[in-house]
Amino acid sequence: MARIAVIGIGNVLEGDDALGPTVARTFEAAYAVPADVEVIDAGTPGLDLTAYLAGLEAVVFVDAVKARGGAGELRVYDRAGILDRGPILAMSPHEPGLRESILHAEFQGVAPATILLVGVIPGSIAFGCQLTAAARAAVPVAVARVKAELEALGVPVTPRQPPLPPDLWWERPAG
Amino acid sequence: MSTRVTIDPITRIEGHLRIDLEVEGGTVHKAYSSGTMWRGIEVILQGRDPRDAWVFTQRICGVCTTVHAIASVRSVENALGLEVPLNAQLIRNIIVAAHAQHDHMVHFYHLSALDWVDVVSALKADPARASALAASFTDWPGNSVQQLTAVKEKVAAFVKAGQLGPFTNGYWGHPAMKLPPEVNLLAVAHYLQALDVQRKANQVVAMLGSKTPNIQNLAVGGVANAINLDNPATLNMEKLYAIKSTLEEIQAFITQVYLPDVAAVAGFYPDWLSYGAGVTNYLAVPDLPTDARMTAFDLPGGVIMAGRPGVQQVTSWNDDYLKRNVTESIARSYYDGAWTRGPWEGETVPRYTGDWKPESPAPEKYSWVKAPRLEGKPMQVGPLAQVLVGYLTGHPLTVKYTQAAIAAVKAIHHIDLKPAHLHSTLGRHAARAIRCAMLGELSLKHWGLLAENLGKGDVSTFNPPTFPKGEIRGVGFHEAPRGVLSHWCVIQDGAIKNYQAVVPSTWNAGPRDDKDQPGPYEASLVGNPIADPKLPLEALRTVHSFDPCLACAIHTHDADGAEVSQVKVG
Repeated sequence: MARIAVIGIGNVLEGDDALGPTVARTFEAAYAVPADVEVIDAGTPGLDLTAYLAGLEAVVFVDAVKARGGAGELRVYDRAGILDRGPILAMSPHEPGLRESILHAEFQGVAPATILLVGVIPGSIAFGCQLTAAARAAVPVAVARVKAELEALGVPVTPRQPPLPPDLWWERPAG
Repeated sequence: MSTRVTIDPITRIEGHLRIDLEVEGGTVHKAYSSGTMWRGIEVILQGRDPRDAWVFTQRICGVCTTVHAIASVRSVENALGLEVPLNAQLIRNIIVAAHAQHDHMVHFYHLSALDWVDVVSALKADPARASALAASFTDWPGNSVQQLTAVKEKVAAFVKAGQLGPFTNGYWGHPAMKLPPEVNLLAVAHYLQALDVQRKANQVVAMLGSKTPNIQNLAVGGVANAINLDNPATLNMEKLYAIKSTLEEIQAFITQVYLPDVAAVAGFYPDWLSYGAGVTNYLAVPDLPTDARMTAFDLPGGVIMAGRPGVQQVTSWNDDYLKRNVTESIARSYYDGAWTRGPWEGETVPRYTGDWKPESPAPEKYSWVKAPRLEGKPMQVGPLAQVLVGYLTGHPLTVKYTQAAIAAVKAIHHIDLKPAHLHSTLGRHAARAIRCAMLGELSLKHWGLLAENLGKGDVSTFNPPTFPKGEIRGVGFHEAPRGVLSHWCVIQDGAIKNYQAVVPSTWNAGPRDDKDQPGPYEASLVGNPIADPKLPLEALRTVHSFDPCLACAIHTHDADGAEVSQVKVG
């Protein structure tokens, strides 16, 4: 049973919306974590996210967020920042999934005590399977932040030697 | 003076949905459904290996992942005429059934119950009376006075903290809310229990598909599950029995809680058994194949026209009638031209002609959704279509659970319902619960078939595909939770040349066509009452009854186009 999860959210067919899955998969390829820490590319599960949250102690979401600032900039939110009604509706393309899943899990009494969102401001969200240059440059920054947040939670994060190539299958060209 | 009510997009989970209503004298006179469904999959797939297509289509929608994966492999297998080993069919069927059960339960308890249930009213409930009421129609052990008291306290704590959590957007105290406090309390208790059952359904999908929400075990030609009944690393006896007991737990909840709850709610809202019929042409495709060649199915398919009892049965995925008569019209959609074509010839060339200006007549093109038609007619798809087809053709399992639903309403409310009441807003909810119970019985049946076949020593799960030179065409049908899904592929020399997905919400949420025939959402809203244009709960009830894979917000405008209110709904 997982104790902590890193959950990348986003549609890999929608340009920079792939940031969440890309960061999750890149992190997983570069670092080993203990068996009770799960790294998930969840796609865009909407309310189904509730099922992933149940019983966790802590969760680190990674997602493209709409926020003031330039493409590729990082924004980190805690639970209060995610749930604060004002900015959230404009913040993530995956509303109502993220916020409402947290609320459902809390009402049920199974929500993680620690909830973090590592957000990246996207350049372009339009159909296609490649990140913009700004978003691509943000991937290692976001991966480092995920590592730091896990370590702050007391999770040992070990670099893989050698690192594995991240499985970003959607970026492979046709033919 | 008519009032215009607009239900507008805020989410991008799959696409946006916007509903415009013209309300006069408290009744909807005209409705327009517009939206953006995800488009462009053919552009991403062109030139790719057909064996990889399902991995991409699975990402079209994050909620309907499994269904797009299944339809895609079936499409390529259909083009190749490739058989799929029995084990693979049965493993897919159990995944399909568990996924659909998950989807139906989430829809009723978590996405649409707030249209009917007043959570705050549960605070006035007497848990002892609620428990006694529940005991009069179900044996479910989760309705004890103690449990219901705990739920009431939980709601009270949330209300006291000024935080209704997931329920903040409900229409508390709306005059259209009719449930007594005790039924509201039971509904909240079951909402909480459903979260748990929904996880169990997910576990079944994960045990067979190795991951949710994006399963990993499919392949064109079968599944990638290794089977060795004695090997802990593969699908083995222990995992099979874990799957069976989980399926049984899910089915207990569906038959003892979900189906009776729908009956209990329906009896308090008898008006809604007459509103919302709309398009009474129905289409369902057969699903859950029981053989490698896909000649026999456990879920029935068929076509009903104009609500008539005569059903034209669809018994095969190679049905020529469907292949020849499914078309899409773009007359009212933001695409270049005004053609009506079959999906194999379809193309997606956007021509955006501008937004619909407030308080002006509907423009010629007003939606990104194409308008699918069968024999030129709009068709309603979804659990109701499948249940009507099954009921009218005497499909035993459909008859069994339809009669169970009718008997539950009779037991709780002493009301005699007829199957004709299914042509309605609440009928769609009832049909979803009926289908959910059918799927529970069938998933266990298919588990048994799988165990039996493995017991014979057959562990094959995969027939390798070989792609010929030249052009081949296929269609993959799937009766998904929201209705008929079809993926149409054209393959040239082993690479994808064209690919079109005609999704259930396109059939139901599509706009008018070249003959100005409204789509099912549009037709079903006409005649609905709207007590308060500022809180158009009634329109939501009808739209939600189709289970749109999206959320929306409502903007209500007065006659001058000024916004009166905005209400977000999940």
